[in-house]
Amino acid sequence: MATTLYHGEPNGPSLTVLAALAETGVAAELKPIDLARGERHSAGVPKNVEVEMSIEGEGPVLVVDGEAMADSVFIACYLDDVSEGARIRPADPLLRWEMMAWCRFVIERIAPAAAFLGTRAHLADQLAAMPEPEFAALDGAIACDDLRWRWEAVRTGAFPEARIAESTAKIVEGVKRIEAKLADGRDWLIGTFSIADLETFAWLTGMVELVPQAFADAPAASAWMARVAARPSVVAALGRAASDDPRKIWAPGPEINRWG
Amino acid sequence: MRAGGDVTLYHWEPNANSGKPMLVLAEKGVPFNSHYLDLLSFDQHKPEYLKINPAGTIPAMTHGDRMLTESTAIMEYVEEAFDGPRLMPENPVDRWRVRWWMKFMDQWLAPSFSMLGWSIFIGPSVRERDPAELEAAIERIPMEERRVAWRKAIYNRFSAEELAESQRRCVIGTNMLEAELAKHQWLGSDEYSLADANGFNLAYAIPLGQPELANDEKTPHLMEWLRKIYERPATRQIWTLSRVQRMSSRLSALERKAG
Repeated sequence: MATTLYHGEPNGPSLTVLAALAETGVAAELKPIDLARGERHSAGVPKNVEVEMSIEGEGPVLVVDGEAMADSVFIACYLDDVSEGARIRPADPLLRWEMMAWCRFVIERIAPAAAFLGTRAHLADQLAAMPEPEFAALDGAIACDDLRWRWEAVRTGAFPEARIAESTAKIVEGVKRIEAKLADGRDWLIGTFSIADLETFAWLTGMVELVPQAFADAPAASAWMARVAARPSVVAALGRAASDDPRKIWAPGPEINRWG
Repeated sequence: MRAGGDVTLYHWEPNANSGKPMLVLAEKGVPFNSHYLDLLSFDQHKPEYLKINPAGTIPAMTHGDRMLTESTAIMEYVEEAFDGPRLMPENPVDRWRVRWWMKFMDQWLAPSFSMLGWSIFIGPSVRERDPAELEAAIERIPMEERRVAWRKAIYNRFSAEELAESQRRCVIGTNMLEAELAKHQWLGSDEYSLADANGFNLAYAIPLGQPELANDEKTPHLMEWLRKIYERPATRQIWTLSRVQRMSSRLSALERKAG
């Protein structure tokens, strides 16, 4: 089976999938792309409606025998399905439910907030400085209107104070939930190590610098972050970084819930 | 519906999020106790239900001493925890596609349909009640974001831009479903799956609600798909639990014309 992963710097969803590949031992050719320059929308990356309309935003693309797949949690579920080695989902249906419900919380609450704060801190200046023809080419290649609008908002510096406060609060709330989850002394969020640990860590590792107050009074969550960071799969994924600090590489992510 | 020994589902009408686990339980042949909560009377925020699900969201399912929320995650649980016909395809790429479409519907498309539905139906239905009683009912909602959403719906605070964006997404999403359903026999694969159960609950009302968007000429695959699901015994079975005629009457657009 020909398997190719187009991935960005090991941060956010690209980190989840790179580490999931290492955990499961599934063989794949790795093709780094610069998500922060819109390369996911370039001609070299296979596309279909699922890649173009992925609500994850600028996430990795796994291509298996010509079929392009998007959305890091579901790519990781796929890798777990085809893995002949380690599993990254619990076996018990109740724990699997808990893992999927947890990942939904991360995708819906933590990820949009992290992408908003991350792009504000680390992409906005770079994008504002981009010459107009270059930005127009990047922008014009994006098929999904609302994803394109998120790029344009970053370029124009449209980061309303209320959204900054709301996103910061969501990171704080997310870390509180992790702290509560770990209160019984468990090592991993869903008991055994799983996709939930990878996805949660991948979106939060860049928030330690940007929302330090979230981690100030969260010893269990901080220790858990260190445990995930020490996983050989995560070490290997981070070792693929082309930048000095992949935690500072961001591209537009999922949108903030339209219902408020 | 056969009464279930240890499965109880707390639900509203057999549509939207409530309809998803209802349909899957019926497809799997899992007997369950049906506990109907009247969304329009805010039953889901009353103390007796908050004892079951402190978040006050519906649906919720209890299985023995387990309490589960999040309709799509519940569907996956029902698929994995019970015997019965398989509702996830065998091929791992198909399974990925089923999950992708469920997320797309849950997080991108359904919120747009529901914003329109709430502004047209739920808001006006609830607004007729005593204002003080309404405000007290909203204050009882445990989650702040749900309080915000209910206030928007009840007092019609959706902006023109928000409604226009929701309508834009309904058009795009309906056309995406039509294109996808032309590729496979069912949504995302050639086997009836959780994505179809999910999608029916989202899309069954489009032909009647937005006939210019979904009809036999413009979206033949979507129409045929909805009719095929409507004809399934499990779908018929769960719609016997409907108590709001205005909801069930929307199915009439899916009746096949005689001859």
